[in-house]
Amino acid sequence: MMPDEVIQKEANKAYRAHLLICAGTGCVSNRAFKVRDALVEEIQKRGLSDEVQVIATGCQGFCAQGPIMIFQPDGIFYQMLTEENISHLVEEHLVKGRPVPKLMYIPSVDEPPIPKLEDIDFFNKQRLLVLRNRGLLDPEKIDEYIARDGYQALAKALTTMTPEQIIDEVKSSGLRGRGGAGFPTGQKWAIARKSPGDEKYIICNADEGDPGAFMDRSIIESDPHSVLEGMTIGAFAIGAAHGYIYIREEYPLAMKRLHIAIDQARDYGLLGEDILGTGFNFDVSVHRGAGAFVCGEETSLIGSLEGRTPEPRIRPPFPAQSGVWEKPTNINNVETWANVPVIINRGSAWYTSLGTETSKGTKVFSVVGKVNNTGLVEVPMGTTLREIVYDIGGGIPGGKRFKAVQTGGPSGGCIPESKIDLPIDFERLTEAGSIMGSGGLIVMDEETCMVDVARYFLDFLRGESCGKCTTCREGIAAMHDIVADICNGEGKIEDIELLKDLSEAVRDASLCALGGTAPNPVLSTLQYFRDEYDAHINEKKCPAGVCRALISFRIDPEKCNGCFLCNKQCPEKVIHGKPKEPQIIDQEGCIKCGVCRESCKFGAVIVE
Amino acid sequence: MIKKTDQKVGAVLVVGAGVGGMQASLDLAEAGYNVYLVEKGPSIGGVMAQLDKTFPTNDCAMCTLAPRMVDCGGHLNIEKLTYSEVESIEGEAGNFRIRVRKKPRFINEDKCTGCGTCTTNCPVLNIAHFEDVDELGKVQLKEEDRQIFQQILSQHDINRESIIAVLQDINNRYRYLPDDILRHVAAALNVPLSLVYSLATFYNAFSLVPRGKYVIRVCMGTACHVQGGHQILQGLERMLNVPVGGTTEDMNFSLEEVRCLGCCGLAPVITINEDLYGSVTQAKLPKILKRYREEEVSVGIASEGVSDAKD
Repeated sequence: MMPDEVIQKEANKAYRAHLLICAGTGCVSNRAFKVRDALVEEIQKRGLSDEVQVIATGCQGFCAQGPIMIFQPDGIFYQMLTEENISHLVEEHLVKGRPVPKLMYIPSVDEPPIPKLEDIDFFNKQRLLVLRNRGLLDPEKIDEYIARDGYQALAKALTTMTPEQIIDEVKSSGLRGRGGAGFPTGQKWAIARKSPGDEKYIICNADEGDPGAFMDRSIIESDPHSVLEGMTIGAFAIGAAHGYIYIREEYPLAMKRLHIAIDQARDYGLLGEDILGTGFNFDVSVHRGAGAFVCGEETSLIGSLEGRTPEPRIRPPFPAQSGVWEKPTNINNVETWANVPVIINRGSAWYTSLGTETSKGTKVFSVVGKVNNTGLVEVPMGTTLREIVYDIGGGIPGGKRFKAVQTGGPSGGCIPESKIDLPIDFERLTEAGSIMGSGGLIVMDEETCMVDVARYFLDFLRGESCGKCTTCREGIAAMHDIVADICNGEGKIEDIELLKDLSEAVRDASLCALGGTAPNPVLSTLQYFRDEYDAHINEKKCPAGVCRALISFRIDPEKCNGCFLCNKQCPEKVIHGKPKEPQIIDQEGCIKCGVCRESCKFGAVIVE
Repeated sequence: MIKKTDQKVGAVLVVGAGVGGMQASLDLAEAGYNVYLVEKGPSIGGVMAQLDKTFPTNDCAMCTLAPRMVDCGGHLNIEKLTYSEVESIEGEAGNFRIRVRKKPRFINEDKCTGCGTCTTNCPVLNIAHFEDVDELGKVQLKEEDRQIFQQILSQHDINRESIIAVLQDINNRYRYLPDDILRHVAAALNVPLSLVYSLATFYNAFSLVPRGKYVIRVCMGTACHVQGGHQILQGLERMLNVPVGGTTEDMNFSLEEVRCLGCCGLAPVITINEDLYGSVTQAKLPKILKRYREEEVSVGIASEGVSDAKD
């Protein structure tokens, strides 16, 4: 900790401008730290260090445009920054006071750039509760969180509320588990509180295994204290003295910020013994996962924490009755914990004003795949898929046709175009044959093969099945082989019925949700995209042009101008032709790797 | 060969008293043959007795098995030789001589009712250690390895809960889990070596074979998949000339899949050690690989990122 007077001096320092540069994993991999260093250096060089502050914030959500920066107090949004254009930016905006249009967000080629953050559809259509602090504070500084009303909910809960009142408040807020299953959080807490035992535990499940979902990582990277605050309130309500955070090892940056946050909270007396002088003791420890999808399942996660083989076990007893070390344990997802301070601060009545009849509040989604504005969005429950994909997501790139949205990871399903006006909540998604899941929305266009998507998920689940239940271990593998055969053009029409039979067996006879929901991707694609299966089986064609055994690459002589790029890139050297003349692919030796299509700047390589 | 005759002669020996063996014995016994049913384990029933349901019909395993076990157990034409093994077979069809070794049970089978009281009262609880924990710790480590191991161990509490964290640290240090050190982990934390191995093989992060200097992980998340992540993987297989999970001969690169890196906004994504690359295309791969071939110093994402996503 810094000496008090330094903090005081820091706090009294007034800056005329704050440059909030995103330092989430996405932007960092696009050299955000290099950009920040260049920015700091440039500002120093011009002697503006006392006037301008550069802050590295957590993930701001607009990952597609990274590295991004918000220029306050003007609220100007800059995107795709590089070290090279920093000097120009500082010169123009900071010195001359002229914002730089060419670094602003441009919705499409023929529209003018949008300078202000609040005018960009991606941001202004969102409603931020869980991500309330995103991009506004430095996640490595607890003071900034406190300045944004942080730990106020904790103080309110510890000093003015009884554990029962807290549980009642959470119950009446209608908060449901954000990890996927949607179990009412208040009810879960009440069971854990009532379970007999002196020693109780709480767990924050940050083992975000669903492919295509990264909200938990982002929440921890941008606002780790909100999770810690939620956990501390939960621990007080349940009567737990220790909490575990189980986080994936694939998230090094989130892990680093979490450790910093925990250390700071301990220093400030917000974790540890006698929190806020109320006599309440609570501390947390962080456990790293080691890359196993099944560890997101609660009983398996507990097994992993205890150092056992992480196989799910039969429930009941539920973790609320017998969890870690056979003590009552309450497990919630990162996003659920981050909702808690908001509910306590603003009250359940306010919280229930957002959302639908059965699902209250907001949900964070990662909108990714074939969509223009990929990133993290938070919207009230009941928002339609169309609003998310088109208004916030900006539609499909390259003017392609929208085909489906995949939700809920490997346990979910694909929602077709005909259901795009579906308001999203737990029930509606289940009715449509998918699930809410942790909140990954993968947008697919006409160039995505749905049979291949089903094969992809089966392959994923086949690899991640722990192997305890025969139906899951053998059944998913059998289903994968059938779907892989269909992709290879060796499918038979009877295979469809067999797939349905196998799906039933796998669903009914597996212990945990991994196996229980494993057939969903197959069943939902069969339900909505039966024609694609038929095309693969009967006509031996892949309509989307994905399945290698069923496609061939050809060069359109009309469009090819003989630039020779594909010829140079081809790993098998099977593209022939003279320079400046249309090229020809020798089908004999072609391995269909697609490099030629990727490298062609004129769209001359056609898939058939 | 035996001549075809209606007269039932001799006896039949069935080896293995699983559900198949039991049904065969029952059919033969019903047909009038005397059956010797030999079973290696202490009880008839086999694997099916350990299952809850059977695949793919979901029939209750015990419901199928139990009537056959009862019938087999009580049939006068079936002589059960449990906890026994066939040692030798001589002769030919119609006239075999078979030696069966019956292993000692140290219990009078005529009197035992199988009440199970002895099991609960036995003062010795045997834990299934495949190797004696004391022996494991005696495996000699090189001085350097010993120091590294001690240093890793000193950062953790000595209990079973720490096992994954310890394995991760070893994995990070060596890029794989050396067998000798795993034995010391088992000894130090006082857990069976079988548990250490079951964890080491369960998690994707661990490897039991040495990995290259740079571990290339290709994200196989859904967003990366729809954006062509699979082609990137195949492109790398081709360029490095190793299959997924393999390591190049010069021990420079290992190629692996990873389920999802949570950087879906930048799909398709690969990481090389700590560096993350987004929006990768096959055409960009040679340039990326070149940096590592030339031993350019790399920096971790937690401190600083490297990317050529924007070419």
